[in-house]
Amino acid sequence: MNMVRNHVLISIDANTIIAGARAVEDALIKEIARQGLSQEIVVLETGSVGIEDQGVVLVVYPEGIYYTNITPAEVPELVEEHLLKGRVVHRLMLKETPKRFVITKEKTGLMKEQPRIVLKNCGFINPESIDEAIAADGYQAAAKALSSMKPDEIIAEVKHAGLTGRGGAAFPTGLKWEFASKVDNPVKYIVCNADEGEPGTFKDRLILEGDPHKLIESMIIGGYATGATKGFVYIRGEYELSIERLEKAIADARSYGLLGTNIFDSGFDFDITVMKGAGAYVCGEETALIESIEGKRGHPRNKPPYPITAGLWGKPTIVNNVETLSNIPEIILKGAENFKKYGTEKCSGTKVYTILGHVATPGLIETEMGTTLRDIIFEYGGGIKDGKRFKCALVGGAAGAFLGPDMLDVKMDFVNLREYAAALGSGAILVMDEDTDIVDMLKSVLHFFKHESCGHCVPCRLGTARLVELIDRIAASKGTSKDVEGLTRISETMKDTSFCPLGQSLILPVSSSLKYFKDEILARVQ
Amino acid sequence: MTKEKKLSITIDNRTVEVRPHLTILEAARTHNIYIPSLCAMEHLPSYGACRLCVVEVDGLRGFPTSCTTPVEDGMVIRTDTGEIRTLRQEVLKLLLSEHPASCLFCTEQDECKDYQGTIRKAGVITGCRYCPNDTRCELQQVTERIGLTETSYPVYYRNFPVEKNDPFYDRDYNLCILCGRCVRVCNSVRLNGTLSFKQRGKITTVGPAFDRTHLEAGCEFCGACVTVCPTGALSTKTSKWYGKPDKEVATTCVYCPVGCTLKLQVRKSEVLDVLPDYNSALDHGFICVKGRFAVPEYVHSSFRIPVPQRITPLGYNDISWDEAIAEAAERLAGVKPDSFLMMVSPQLTNEDLFVAQQFARQIIGSDQIGSPLLYDLGADTGPFVNLVSQSSAFDVIDDAEAVLAIGFDSTYDYAPIGIGTKKAAQRGAVLVTINSCDTNLDMLSEMAFTCGTEKWSALVGLLTGASAQGAAPLFPTWKKDIAGIQGIFKKSTRKVIIAGPGLLAAPQRTEIIEKLLKVKEKGGWDIIVAHPYSNLKGMLAMGAFHGIKTGAIINENGQAEGVKGDLSKFDLTKGCTVIYAVGVSDLDSLPDCDYLIYQNALPSESQRRPDLLLPAALFTESSGTVINGEGRILPVNKAVEPYRSAKPDWWILNAIGERIKKGVMKYAQVQSVQKEIAKTIKGFPGVKKRLEFSRIDVKMKTPKGAPKMRKQGQFNYRGIPLEAVVKGMKAIEERIELISGSNRGAI
Repeated sequence: MNMVRNHVLISIDANTIIAGARAVEDALIKEIARQGLSQEIVVLETGSVGIEDQGVVLVVYPEGIYYTNITPAEVPELVEEHLLKGRVVHRLMLKETPKRFVITKEKTGLMKEQPRIVLKNCGFINPESIDEAIAADGYQAAAKALSSMKPDEIIAEVKHAGLTGRGGAAFPTGLKWEFASKVDNPVKYIVCNADEGEPGTFKDRLILEGDPHKLIESMIIGGYATGATKGFVYIRGEYELSIERLEKAIADARSYGLLGTNIFDSGFDFDITVMKGAGAYVCGEETALIESIEGKRGHPRNKPPYPITAGLWGKPTIVNNVETLSNIPEIILKGAENFKKYGTEKCSGTKVYTILGHVATPGLIETEMGTTLRDIIFEYGGGIKDGKRFKCALVGGAAGAFLGPDMLDVKMDFVNLREYAAALGSGAILVMDEDTDIVDMLKSVLHFFKHESCGHCVPCRLGTARLVELIDRIAASKGTSKDVEGLTRISETMKDTSFCPLGQSLILPVSSSLKYFKDEILARVQ
Repeated sequence: MTKEKKLSITIDNRTVEVRPHLTILEAARTHNIYIPSLCAMEHLPSYGACRLCVVEVDGLRGFPTSCTTPVEDGMVIRTDTGEIRTLRQEVLKLLLSEHPASCLFCTEQDECKDYQGTIRKAGVITGCRYCPNDTRCELQQVTERIGLTETSYPVYYRNFPVEKNDPFYDRDYNLCILCGRCVRVCNSVRLNGTLSFKQRGKITTVGPAFDRTHLEAGCEFCGACVTVCPTGALSTKTSKWYGKPDKEVATTCVYCPVGCTLKLQVRKSEVLDVLPDYNSALDHGFICVKGRFAVPEYVHSSFRIPVPQRITPLGYNDISWDEAIAEAAERLAGVKPDSFLMMVSPQLTNEDLFVAQQFARQIIGSDQIGSPLLYDLGADTGPFVNLVSQSSAFDVIDDAEAVLAIGFDSTYDYAPIGIGTKKAAQRGAVLVTINSCDTNLDMLSEMAFTCGTEKWSALVGLLTGASAQGAAPLFPTWKKDIAGIQGIFKKSTRKVIIAGPGLLAAPQRTEIIEKLLKVKEKGGWDIIVAHPYSNLKGMLAMGAFHGIKTGAIINENGQAEGVKGDLSKFDLTKGCTVIYAVGVSDLDSLPDCDYLIYQNALPSESQRRPDLLLPAALFTESSGTVINGEGRILPVNKAVEPYRSAKPDWWILNAIGERIKKGVMKYAQVQSVQKEIAKTIKGFPGVKKRLEFSRIDVKMKTPKGAPKMRKQGQFNYRGIPLEAVVKGMKAIEERIELISGSNRGAI
């Protein structure tokens, strides 16, 4: 047997692939072979390690050294210096390892343990290997649930854990499952919403790319608890790698008997189909998503009936977000009480955020509910880039609110933010520094909404069109103060009368930008 | 089962009782409480697009739309608060920001109405009145009710080209407000699925997918989308600029034996347009292209025969009715009974047919009454007439478990039967089709057997179990399918066969018909016959048929024994002295004669020139009744005065008859004919009732000079192909030709 001295993890996700990860990987393997180290050094593919915007990222274990912005040209030096001679290449190393890179299992120096529930295995296992997933506790929760728990016990546990929907609406997941389990229908479906369309959000993609088995496991448990025997994962069509990895994971799980008939000898049958979205933001709305799976145009449906009573093909349907579902195995395995240790009183657990914009280290993090915006930006995000001042952050994607400096110390969770007329939404945090032009920012948000409005209802279809005309005029310094009033008037009408959340939530960016930056906007029209 | 309890709700401080399962909007409408709405419509699924019907409901967040929110017991609803009014105005302003609104907000509006009454004076450039829907527009009405008098947005003109390349209706999507009514009616009501939304957001439009034309996309041209359109976006080509009708006359369509209710839109002496009646229990408003679009152009055709005309060596001379009647009477008086031939169309009313047979039998003393049916079917007339007499009510489809459609396609006709079948298939009934080309039912069928007409008889025998003799080897590839279907049919109890017009084009049609009659008797199948001879049942009931006495076939007491007819001595090739053709236009097939009277609305397309032309009134111009395919007596109501000096058929026959032999007929008005029918046929019921028919057993032998199969795939009325006078029907005929070759069915 070979003695492996070092493991080199290379992050293969959609971002790093663009940055040339495959070429680096090839070069690495060739170089290791050339230097005769093939017996001692293993190169492993993994999902995102959480560092974005830094090119190809390598992690060398057991030292836990992160190399960023690696190109094939640097590979020979790296192999020779670090892997052969054991000298860290400081030039290429990520200087300061932020907290977020610490995985639950490791304690490094002074840094305290961080809660990683959803991202536990991301950037740690090879997402394309079911064995690694199983080695990292994969499918243990499913085994426990199916062999030793009754469906209502699972639901009670999830309810007790206080898990809420992470897609934005924060509906209690346990309650949703309970409703679904009580609907009397032999055919039910469980759908995972992976149509992550909120600008600035890429958490679901990295979860799927990093640990697809966790989702499969969660859906098995969800199906067992609610009585659904068929699962669908609706993924954005652009998420090619997610789709590829999830499909491989599903095929592997099938071959291991983890999907199919009589799973864990429990008599429970379950299988999952992957459906690709075609690039419509509105299909993230659960009823539009259902229409899309049915092969119809992505228009939201009338509610009631809610999907829980009549969803996919008229059958009871549970729709959960990727991140929501990915919390389930931990709850089942370690119990609700353990889950409730994290987070706030009203919102337990953790939240995965994507930090981007003018921060020093953009990326993916998971922290407890209730972490302040200040902590997220300044500790995890490494502060504002180039030493500039914080202006505001757009929290929750395009359908979120601009939060100014006064909100930096507010505890962020779904319940608390609602009191400040803001929303945690998808967990995207777009940070802007003092030089950002708020009118341009608002303009791009409104253009996005106009482009993504499905056209079903009048206020959204024509409201977004008129808002874009107003903001374009204001941005071109041709507007009047009446145009600024128009922004408020239209978005308020849209809030009260739009068919679905797409049109209703546009008020958030408009009213919050006017709250903080009315003077700046008015300065453009005078 | 307990009766569903009524719910008590409070709307605007009024407590009212309503049925459960209604939406707030429906509940309000039943109590005459106005809530503005543009997208909601009776018979269509809720959609919630226009957002004008927002209300406040205690306990519900925000402003729910009344068209999508179901009522609940104890609900407290406010429909007209200040906040709601503002919201409605704001939404309407947005809606009108992309809808030409000069008819709503122009300062010259009143002046314009007084002095510029016609669209033709003002063009698109001035921005006024280029919408054909002025004064009929729901958007105008809603704007007035909401009280919007100005808008804060400049009107954005989307500049879509007006689409005029399909027959029957034009589409100007610049006027479209995307209420989705047309899409819903096409998909959910007509189950056709031609229309859908294209693109998304602000550039959404309506139309068939992949930019095909409507014709290519399988549009039925039923016009349901035009009917439900609240704006001028969809408009009937022939009547778009005609404005509001004065009155509406409900009548029965005589183009096929379904007998749909047509709501004729009448102004002065003109039928402008025809609308369906969604509350009709018979057809549910599912009229087809013929009823919807092919009436006005036919009845107001410029080719109509205006006055009686007599042939001269130099052409036709106009003569007065007096002269015409005198001449006809003179020619007919003393004619030998067996050298007279009365040809009647099965598309006449019962009254016309009754008077026609009376004319032949009592005035001339002849039983020589024929119809084009005999030329189409020849020796197969007997079995066919027997099949028709035993056909069931159309609503047997509604709870059928299995439906077998033979030679049937409902794209352009028999729409209520077709939609009934589609609905049955959607709720789980097993549908099997047999045809020689693709049909519009195939998509919903369990199995579509597409094969040449020569194999149909064997296939029908196999599937229904009528006879399997020597048939199986004909279908080696369908062995499994046939066995499967046989099993399903054997298990089902409520089974329906739809015998479509394609059946008449099959060479072994008698054999098939005999099989159908056998399985009806022994196998428990119901049979619906979709054929082109609209009032055939009326013709048989009235006895306007050689060898069948008036009223003989009406099975008053449910007697099982049949009526015997004998056509074997009826020679259609023998020369005559006088032939009187009523509503029959294929004159070249008729035998030789000395004198030919042609009584019809439009001139014949035949080579042969009749001696006397008598202008007949059409079904929009005279009253009467018809008996539809299920034996129901339906009213035909006069909507306009006859064209020029045209007269109803019964009137002309009566006048000539009176001249020849006084005192036999003496009908002053159609009611006196109806009285006579009631007197002659005991137990002839009133309108809307259903008649039971006896079996008919007509002895036949192939008439001399065996009739050739007539041109297939034509829609006729009174012998005139609709395409000859209705422009759009030409495109329809071409489309049928393209899809099916010539296998669509007779007439």
